[in-house]
Amino acid sequence: MIFSDTYTIFWREMKRYRKSRSGILIRLIQPVIWIIVIGNTFAGTRPLIQSVGFNGSYIEFMAPGVIMLTAIFTSIFGGVNTLWDRRYGFMNKALTSPISRSSIAVGKMLAISLISALQSSLILGIALALGVGISNYLMIIPILLIVIAFSLGFSGISVIVAATAKSQETFWGVINFLGMPLFMLSPALFPLELLPHWLAFIAKLNPVTYSVLLIREMMTGKAQIFSIAVDVAVICGFVAIMIAIASYAFTREVNKPF
Amino acid sequence: MYAVETRSLSKVYRNGLKAVDEISIKIEEGEIFGFLGPNGAGKSTTIMILTTLLKPTSGMAYVAGFDVVTQAKQVRQNIGYVQQDSTVDEYLTGRENLQLQARLNHMPKNSVNERIDEILDLVELSDRQHDAVVTYSGGMRKRLDIVGGLLHRPKILFLDEPTLGLDIQTRYKIWDYIRKIHKEFGMSIFLTTHYMEEADKLCDNISIIDHGKIKVTDSPKSLKNALGNEVVVFEVDSDLKLGDLLSELKKVSLVKDVTAEGYEVTIFSPSGNQVMPKIFEIAGKLGIKIESITLTKPTLDDVFLSYTGRELREESNGYNRKKEREKMRRLRA
Repeated sequence: MIFSDTYTIFWREMKRYRKSRSGILIRLIQPVIWIIVIGNTFAGTRPLIQSVGFNGSYIEFMAPGVIMLTAIFTSIFGGVNTLWDRRYGFMNKALTSPISRSSIAVGKMLAISLISALQSSLILGIALALGVGISNYLMIIPILLIVIAFSLGFSGISVIVAATAKSQETFWGVINFLGMPLFMLSPALFPLELLPHWLAFIAKLNPVTYSVLLIREMMTGKAQIFSIAVDVAVICGFVAIMIAIASYAFTREVNKPF
Repeated sequence: MYAVETRSLSKVYRNGLKAVDEISIKIEEGEIFGFLGPNGAGKSTTIMILTTLLKPTSGMAYVAGFDVVTQAKQVRQNIGYVQQDSTVDEYLTGRENLQLQARLNHMPKNSVNERIDEILDLVELSDRQHDAVVTYSGGMRKRLDIVGGLLHRPKILFLDEPTLGLDIQTRYKIWDYIRKIHKEFGMSIFLTTHYMEEADKLCDNISIIDHGKIKVTDSPKSLKNALGNEVVVFEVDSDLKLGDLLSELKKVSLVKDVTAEGYEVTIFSPSGNQVMPKIFEIAGKLGIKIESITLTKPTLDDVFLSYTGRELREESNGYNRKKEREKMRRLRA
């Protein structure tokens, strides 16, 4: 029953997404600007990047970072409709029906992560069109699977904040505070090896780091089994923990009066 | 077994507000029960407890025989809840909204389509079922909301202010639908409203609630009869000796209740014809001139006012919240 309940919420979220298409293209503008502006601004850092063993151009180096940028922001913003749902009564409708509370949270998270993967795949397409190389086009599939998994975990943060926050202002305040540092404190734009030790240490606690590294390895085709295993394990652990916390926090919060 | 039963149900909010105070109600199966009260009387809090959205502070509540606290899941399997504000998804079509409702309520798949067809027909929405709800009028949305609440044939349907903010034609139409639905499916209906006419037209029994307490429970007819079968309303030329006039009138044997507002006096009596000469007699003695006088039947409005008084209610945050919702709705659209 829990699976079909989760699917019910997922189905509803996807229907809503499908019918609010105007936002899809707008949300692509920012990552495209990142690729074009930052990608060219830092083109001169190529020797630095090559010094740590990356042979491509800077744009090729940062493309996985921008894919993750899209994934981070799509998924961390995605939970905001939880606030609308509580205000407009859909939440009460769901809460007075026999479906379980955690399936509402997880259904939303699944929908957000799929939407996030769709957005990221468009960015990947744009990057490839701009001449970013990929070792093998079949790699697109595992890359998108990583994005889905990562976004599933990240959307948990969004759902937790949305369920806890009573207002839009609180939600956006917290989300903006979280989103940018998580992106910055990762090898998305610059190699970990060249960071000061303390920054590299903090970056290694960040799940974004593992996703960026994994996608970069897949795009260059220089993946090693051991590092892939570590990255995948970290991401899966992160996702499992986020699903558990989000289900718990969501259930607790929606049982309080809004 | 009662459809709904509460025993000394109370809810005290964290800020110390006692929203519901020792409420005991019993609703028979198949009954349409009206829950009336001014703004902030405790109607919404009660409905939220009965639909398992809020936990009571003390007392018991059973819905379809299940305890709302310990058997919340079973309660949810047996109720339909139509909220005050429209909760249909605007981006979805009418039919998709009902499909969502069916899924939320675990309806067996093989009956879903047939029932949706049937119920869309009932509220005359079949021809618009494939349009997005964003194109629907307020009345159409409300109809969709109501049939969404009963698609899964709940034993008890909660209708929270079903005709609030609708024009009079739509309101009459909604009443027709509610009667039709009740006749067809025979479920119990728990209806909150502050339109007295609505309660009068639809309900078998009503409770009037104010300041969290039940003031009276009875059928609309006996409540009106209890006030006296007739109402005499008259206007005097000055309020100088109004106090004396009122106390004299209260002594008249056929007078059940007297209220005054400004220069207007209202008398409830089983026999208005016989009271009218007495009014002139007493007024004459006191030197008060009567400007006009009418004889009518009591309405549920009169019953309501006699139990809840005439003073205006603080709408603590109701007004602003409504306004804010409106604003956000526009933003979203």
